[in-house]
Amino acid sequence: MIRGLELGGRSRGDGPRESFDWVLFLVSASLAVFGVVNLYSATSVVRAALSDLYIQQVYWLVLGGILATFVAAIDYRHYERLGYLVYGFGLVLLLLVFILGKDIRGSSRWISIGSFSLQPSEFMKLFMIVALAKFLHDDPRSEGRTLKDLIAPAAIAAVPMALILKQPDLGTALIHGLIFASICAMMRIRWKSLAWLGGITAVALPVIWNFVLKDYQKQRIYSFLNPDTNIQGANWHEHHARVAIGAGRALGEGFMKGTQNQFLFLPEQYSDFPFAVFAQDWGFVGCLILVSLYISLTLWSLRVAATARDRFGAVLAVGVGGMIFWHAFFNLGMVTGILPVVGVTLPLFSYGGSSVMTIMMGIGLLMNVSMRRHSSAPTLGRAGLSIRSR
Amino acid sequence: MSELGVSRSDASEFRRRFQYLALFVLLAFGVVVGRLTQLQLLEGADYASQAHENIVRRVPLPTTRGVIRDAYGKVLASSRPAHNVTVVPWRVLLSLISGKRPKALQDAVDTWPRIADVLRLNPDERRRLETRIREACRTAAWNDSPEVRRRSACYRPLLVREDLPRDIVAELEEHQAELLGAEVARIPVRYYPYKNLGSHMLGYVAEIDEEGLARVRPPGYEQLSGEERQKQNPLGYDVGDTVGATGLEHAWESSLRGSRGWEKRVVDAHGRYRTEPEAKRLLDDPSRQEPLAGRDLRLTIDMDLMQSIDRAMRAHATGSVVVVDVRSGRLLALYSKPDFDPNDLSGGAGRGRVREAFEKLSRDPLRPMLDKTMTGSFQPGSTFKPFSALAALEDRILDPEDHERCDGYLTFGKRLFRCAHTHGRVNMHDAIAESCNVYFYKLAEAVGMDRIARIAHDFGLGQKSGLGINPEAAGRVPTRGWYALRFRGQFRLGFTLNTAIGQGDSLVTPLQLALAYAALANGGTVYSPEIVRAVETSDGAVATDFAPRVQHKVSIRPENLARVTQALAAVVADPKGTAYPARDASLDVAGKTGTAQTGYIASKAEDPRRAAFYAQNHAWFAAFAPARAPEIAVVVFLEHGGSGPTQAVPVAMQVIREHVRLDAIRGHRPAPTATPQSPGPPLAPPGPAPAASAPNDNTDPADAADLPEAP
Repeated sequence: MIRGLELGGRSRGDGPRESFDWVLFLVSASLAVFGVVNLYSATSVVRAALSDLYIQQVYWLVLGGILATFVAAIDYRHYERLGYLVYGFGLVLLLLVFILGKDIRGSSRWISIGSFSLQPSEFMKLFMIVALAKFLHDDPRSEGRTLKDLIAPAAIAAVPMALILKQPDLGTALIHGLIFASICAMMRIRWKSLAWLGGITAVALPVIWNFVLKDYQKQRIYSFLNPDTNIQGANWHEHHARVAIGAGRALGEGFMKGTQNQFLFLPEQYSDFPFAVFAQDWGFVGCLILVSLYISLTLWSLRVAATARDRFGAVLAVGVGGMIFWHAFFNLGMVTGILPVVGVTLPLFSYGGSSVMTIMMGIGLLMNVSMRRHSSAPTLGRAGLSIRSR
Repeated sequence: MSELGVSRSDASEFRRRFQYLALFVLLAFGVVVGRLTQLQLLEGADYASQAHENIVRRVPLPTTRGVIRDAYGKVLASSRPAHNVTVVPWRVLLSLISGKRPKALQDAVDTWPRIADVLRLNPDERRRLETRIREACRTAAWNDSPEVRRRSACYRPLLVREDLPRDIVAELEEHQAELLGAEVARIPVRYYPYKNLGSHMLGYVAEIDEEGLARVRPPGYEQLSGEERQKQNPLGYDVGDTVGATGLEHAWESSLRGSRGWEKRVVDAHGRYRTEPEAKRLLDDPSRQEPLAGRDLRLTIDMDLMQSIDRAMRAHATGSVVVVDVRSGRLLALYSKPDFDPNDLSGGAGRGRVREAFEKLSRDPLRPMLDKTMTGSFQPGSTFKPFSALAALEDRILDPEDHERCDGYLTFGKRLFRCAHTHGRVNMHDAIAESCNVYFYKLAEAVGMDRIARIAHDFGLGQKSGLGINPEAAGRVPTRGWYALRFRGQFRLGFTLNTAIGQGDSLVTPLQLALAYAALANGGTVYSPEIVRAVETSDGAVATDFAPRVQHKVSIRPENLARVTQALAAVVADPKGTAYPARDASLDVAGKTGTAQTGYIASKAEDPRRAAFYAQNHAWFAAFAPARAPEIAVVVFLEHGGSGPTQAVPVAMQVIREHVRLDAIRGHRPAPTATPQSPGPPLAPPGPAPAASAPNDNTDPADAADLPEAP
């Protein structure tokens, strides 16, 4: 797969104009199937109202699939013009949360539309990626970038992050920041500027600790640093998730046989901790397959980025790849106890409409960029004219 | 194409970075895989056992406490099931809201009002419980986590009523489905069918207190290994366990208790038991250890005789009776009055009842909790005289046939020592039979205190008998040495005079006295008293059988012993004997009466009736029967009961008569023949008839108070 990255330099235009990306499709589909099957096991023990969550998840996947098909069908180069528009739309949704938001357990993240709720901060990740792609597409550099050059893209990331932190939703805000950092990682930045960036971060961390983080968020970090204390209280989740994973051992206890979930020791087993259920059911072997799927998906999106026709596509692919990577890494890290508990979902494994649809649309974008890596012009509409510059 | 040579669509700025990003991704997931390797492969076994521990809980299986039976198999203490009702506050909370309910709760069933109805709670109790339920759930919320649920009182069963009558239990069980949240728990409760009778020797049981628990479960106990726990806490006590508090229940705790078993059960995170087959399959072997029932005790006590004693003591407020088999030291009766109902103290009827009962008992001036057979010690009065006589005989200090003259008093130094009577010329035989103090004053003068003390000691007086079922008083046989310590060397001969007639500083327990008289009767063998004849398993097989244990043989020449026992027979049989008026001609009894002055001085503020009671003497009669071939020794002690001959003797006669009758019924020996033992006036009816004078009259004709030194 690494070799694939070198394909980026291959001549364009002489292959088939559009080719369906089967690797992307199969990897994503496998994850989705595993996710639903695991959700079935995870919710088999809960109350009637929640026990058909896996069916709802299938509905969300179908809906997400339809959206992804639409997203993939329209040449991504058309999205470039809409970049700031969707970004603005996302910000409006985030502001609406403060007005219409439902308060659930101390934070308001959802907007209710009819009988179901929407989590704008999930979709905002995609909107932000599109906006950053547009900005970088319009701002090509051959020299290294200075700190001043980073102010504008940083602002694009900072505004939604601030709004999301206000909800408060530390996990999602963090993912936004990490997606931005991933995109930055591709850019050429001067060493001096990089040093400055490091310095600013070092100063910002204590400020964030003192003025931004809420007490319960600090508590989670304390818990992470002392995992074996307070098992009955604050560390309940991590402790029992870790026991579930370890008890899976090499081959697992079998589908729907993981005792930690069957006997209700894993709260949030369908939202933040489905991996613990999976790990006890399927053991190390199952986990290895699952992790390989996430590795494949992430590396494949880097390949898509590397082979993308243009900067816009490349940034889109890296952004979406980064989103999937950070979600997967943070969730696995949190459940296995190497990272503090911040509510970050596991892509296609955690239950949640907004989350599933965001990931599916992201995969649609990847597919879009991947399919059109060899085509020289947009296949639809007049927008392609602006791109034909050589 | 811009002038910088960089196209808007040129992705070359990014190209070189992808490899580093890929590397970073691989590294990050590599860390995750490394962590999974650690958790699942390296430490997997630990976590698997932790997961197993999470769901498998050892539930203790109760054992049943051993049954206590009397010598003939009558049950004196056993266990019966009591039914207690608990409710889980959380489950009835909604139904507490009366009147107009919020819309969402309109469907909530009327669980609580129905529970209250079925349990017949009175309005006060009901309000009190409702307050407690609300209080318990003040901070509860629907989304409480499992650990909060486990700790909060809102989710734990709350005791509503204890020891329900059967009909209410039946009603509750019938409506179980509609009374969700209420649960009937069957707990074993100690039950004493004879209620108050024998309460001191049986004792009672109570919930183990914090102090007792801390002794067997010191801090850090939970962390100990199974073996160390076993060593520390061999009987496996836990919070809320029942433990013997006094009497046999306490002394034989380790036999009676039995040992708990356990059963492994599957529980979920909320502490609920899961019984589906898939859950049961998770249990590892062994999944169950059967409990071991406690051992039963077979006593030497004859409960029918105890009931007879209770009837014989009906006229007396306080005192005790001990009956012992002189041939074995086995106790046939151990009776102390006033008594208490151990059922009230053993928690069956609820904690409130226990508290009430204790308060009532502690207010009673006659001290019903005190075992007056062994925990209390009292002046023995004239019942002590045989031992003084033996001291004189043994050391050949005086010739028992020599006569002394009794003028009704003896002046000694500046003091006057009185006798109840002017006995005229008496020898030792007469002095014992007629209970002449003056003879014994003179005897004491000749013998000295320490010789008397040595003999008394030899008969077991002044030391604990070692029965060990209740705290035992040692009693006191004073010696010169003891007086030297007590009064700093100012020894006066008057002390000796008082000691010889069982007054002054002498103290005995009725149990000691009974054992000493048993030794007088059986030719000088002092037995260790025995109350538990055998320990039996719950199916009736004998586990341990206890043979009589001889403590020691007293070193008395048989002819001296015979002389004293003959005199003791004359106390009853000789018309001049102090017990003669109250004797039962059909019975062959030997014994010694005693009327001990207590030296009680009433304060002016005291209630005169109360003062009059306490001013009375202790009445004693220590006896054995039949006089010619002794089988039992009986001691009757009436605390402030007045005169020994008129009060204690009739009780003893009735007890002995009942014993003979019971033996006849059981076919152990023929019914007693009604042949008078000695010539004399026709049989006087037992009871108060001969005691025409007031019970506290010190000039009682027969055996007036053994008057000690008078100022």
